[in-house]
Parts: sequence; C-alpha cells; structure tokens
Amino acid sequence: MKATLAPSSLISLPRHKVSSLRSPSLLIQSQRPSSALMTTMKTASRGSVAVTAAATSSVEALREGIAEFYNETSGLWEEIWGDHMHHGFYDPDSSVQLSDSGHREAQIRMIEESLRFAGVTEEEKKIKRVVDVGCGIGGSSRYIASKFGAECVGITLSPVQAKRANDLAAAQSLSHKVSFQVADALEQPFEDGMFDLVWSMESGEHMPDKAKFVKELVRVAAPGGRIIIVTWCHRNLSQGEEALQPWEQNLLDRICKTFYLPAWCSTSDYVNLLQSLSLQDIKCADWSENVAPFWPAVIRTALTWKGLVSLLRSGMKSIKGALTMPLMIEGYKKGIIKFGIITCQKPL
Amino acid sequence: MRLIVHNMLTCNIKGVVNKFPLRIEAEKVVIKKEVDFNTDFLRHMLAKIEWKALVDGARSMGYTELPDHAPEAEESYSFLKKFHHALLELHLEEGSLVCQETGRKFPVEKGVPNMLLHEDEV
Repeated sequence: MKATLAPSSLISLPRHKVSSLRSPSLLIQSQRPSSALMTTMKTASRGSVAVTAAATSSVEALREGIAEFYNETSGLWEEIWGDHMHHGFYDPDSSVQLSDSGHREAQIRMIEESLRFAGVTEEEKKIKRVVDVGCGIGGSSRYIASKFGAECVGITLSPVQAKRANDLAAAQSLSHKVSFQVADALEQPFEDGMFDLVWSMESGEHMPDKAKFVKELVRVAAPGGRIIIVTWCHRNLSQGEEALQPWEQNLLDRICKTFYLPAWCSTSDYVNLLQSLSLQDIKCADWSENVAPFWPAVIRTALTWKGLVSLLRSGMKSIKGALTMPLMIEGYKKGIIKFGIITCQKPL
Repeated sequence: MRLIVHNMLTCNIKGVVNKFPLRIEAEKVVIKKEVDFNTDFLRHMLAKIEWKALVDGARSMGYTELPDHAPEAEESYSFLKKFHHALLELHLEEGSLVCQETGRKFPVEKGVPNMLLHEDEV
C-alpha cells in the first residue's frame, strides 16, 4: 500500500476502487492506495475478456482498500439510508419526488424485481440455501432469509460490515438463519454446489477479475440453482467496436481515477462469461432508467443538514468524492454507464 | 461464530484436499441465547449437519455433552436441547479455524471468521 504511481500512470491504469459508486455521499478517495490495482481488464475483442495481473500484491492492496473504505463508511450510510447498500428500483420517468421512506421501499423493490427477473419467485420453495456475495451489512440476506425461510450466508471484505450484519441478524431474531463472514468473492470458503441461490447485488464492480468472480459464483451454485448479478457496467460495444470511444473512456477514467475503480466491463461480457461456462436460461436487462432517481436522491441527502455535517466529519476525501457524483449522472445520461442485471441457472 | 456456520466453512487454499472441517482453537467462547428452541428447525438441521464436525467443534469450545453419533430414531427432548445448545448457543468470539491439511489458521475476531487468503495460497 506504500507504493505510489507517477501521475502519468494515473490516467493509463485503472486504479482500484476505494469508494462505493452507489453512495456518493460516502465516497472516500484515499490517496494512500495509489498503489494501484494493476489487474486490468481489457476487452481484447468484442465479447472476450482478458485479464492481466501485473502484481498480485496490488490485488491485496485493492482488497485492503475496499475493506477500509467500507469499514469507515458503512456506519454513515446506515445512519442515513438504512441497511440496504444498493440502488432503488423506480418506475421509469417517475416525476414524483419521493420521500426517504419512498427510497427505502424502492431498495426493497430492487430485491423483489431482481428475484422476479431471475424466475426465483415462482420457485421459492426450492430456495433453501443462499449466498450473498458482497453482502454489505446484510440487508439483502436478512430480507431473502425472511422471505423464503432460507439459510443465508453473506461474505464481505469488511470486518466492520460483517460484525454489524451479524448484530442486526441477532436483533431481528435471524441468527439461526443468516450469518456473515469476512471472505473474498474470488475465493469463497464453501464447497462446490452449495447454494440454491447465488446473489450478487452491486458487488461485481469491486471484482478485479470478472472471469474468476463469475467462475466462483458458478462453482458454489447448486445444480439447478440460480445466479443473480446486479451490477454497474459500461454500455455494450457494437458490432465491430473494439473498445469504448475515447471520450467515453475518458469519462470512465476520470470516474475511475477519483473512485479507484477496476476497469469496467459490459453486460454482454458477463453474458459471454456465463455462456462459456454453459449456464442455462441466461437473461439480462438494462435497468438504467429504473435507477435514475437514485443518485439525485443521494445527492439530496448529502446536502441536508445531517448529510453535510456527516460529510464534513468524514473529511476531504468524502467531499471530493461527493463532488464527483455528477460525473456518474453524466455517465448515465450519455449512455456510457449502465445498470445491469444478469441472471442464469446452473444445469442439473 | 456458531457451529451451524462452522459446519459450512471450508479451507479454500489452492490444492488442499482435506478442506473440511476446520479445527477450532478457541480463545474466547461466549454463550449466546439469541435463538428460540424450535424442534422443527432442529430436526431439519439434523438431516443436514455433518455430525462429527459438530461434536469435535463443540468439544473444542468446551461442550462435551453431545453423543458421538446422532440418534437413528426419534430424537429425545434432552438430545434436542443439547443439539440446540451446541449448534446455536455456543459462540466463538475469539480464536482460530485451522486447516487440517496445512495448519493454516483463519482468525475469528469479534465472532467473525476471516477466510481471506494470502497471495501465495490462491
């Protein structure tokens, strides 16, 4: 974590993510992990994803950076937004400005819509065991465990999040059903085929190696089990396109630079990975229009008295991050950034 | 960490064959009575639990009341009480989970197992 890169390499290398995309009021731009993520994802040709790892210690640096970020900011997010650390799902073009509770409901709706899209809702009796990959403070796990009466284990890189998630489970009398551990989504501490439902809600963005991430999701899925990935992507490339347009990449790079993101991939890249692993019933959708009200809402909460005080308490890094939020909204408006869902079923 | 969770965790170090169960080295064990006694739930769990891992885990945490084998026929009330206690009330607050093959220790801190691998283990 002590190595730093010369400024010129800040542009060329996507750096590891230290901040959460979806909680701009909590964005912490840490200068220290400028020991950048050097695991780069390049779309070598349309539909194929190549991964190069320049130095494995940088992967550890990324993990530490993510863990530290969430250790520092989860409490603040929970205080303002509650225990769901993901976007709300809204009707497109809804002009009504929602109350705080309206946004909470939208976050619940995101879970429900994702389950429905994956075809899980009709088969809920089959869902006995669930893994929540990148579980945050366990909002999804507790919700799904309650809904299906299923057992759920969640994994996160952040010890603070795992502890908080366990405490919340105990407070909700769910300790026998849900538990949370510190573990790496790329090296899950579970046997093959363990879970009827593999859930990844807005955690894919953190994964430096998308292929490995998807392989692990598939490995731990039970035969006949379903996998749900809800994640930020860049737009799909068109026929003949090798890469995003330079101006598009520049926008993402500026976001990457501030938020320390590993390189993004497209929804199609996920679909191709799943196809290559012979998954069935692969579906995907672009829900960008359904999440559009979320970022402005987060900005609004950041600009409330409570939000501003919290930001000031968190320091310059949070403030800088918050000031970069408009780039995210710009990315959406220009069709570069997409909010995608990809689901599939593991063959029997 | 409760034993219900321990019964699911494996060592994920590359190349390890004997991944499960992880041996428990207990430093601080706490009894947490946060879960209601529910016979239906316990019978459901009994069918899924790897029994020897549970017994050994419980012993490591200082509880020796569990029989070596789960009952074949109808479980008695007293057995279910012991099972409930071992599965859901023994809580490893501080200690380690040890890979039987490599000896690698995964720390448990504030009740949370840390299963992160080092670079040379993946």
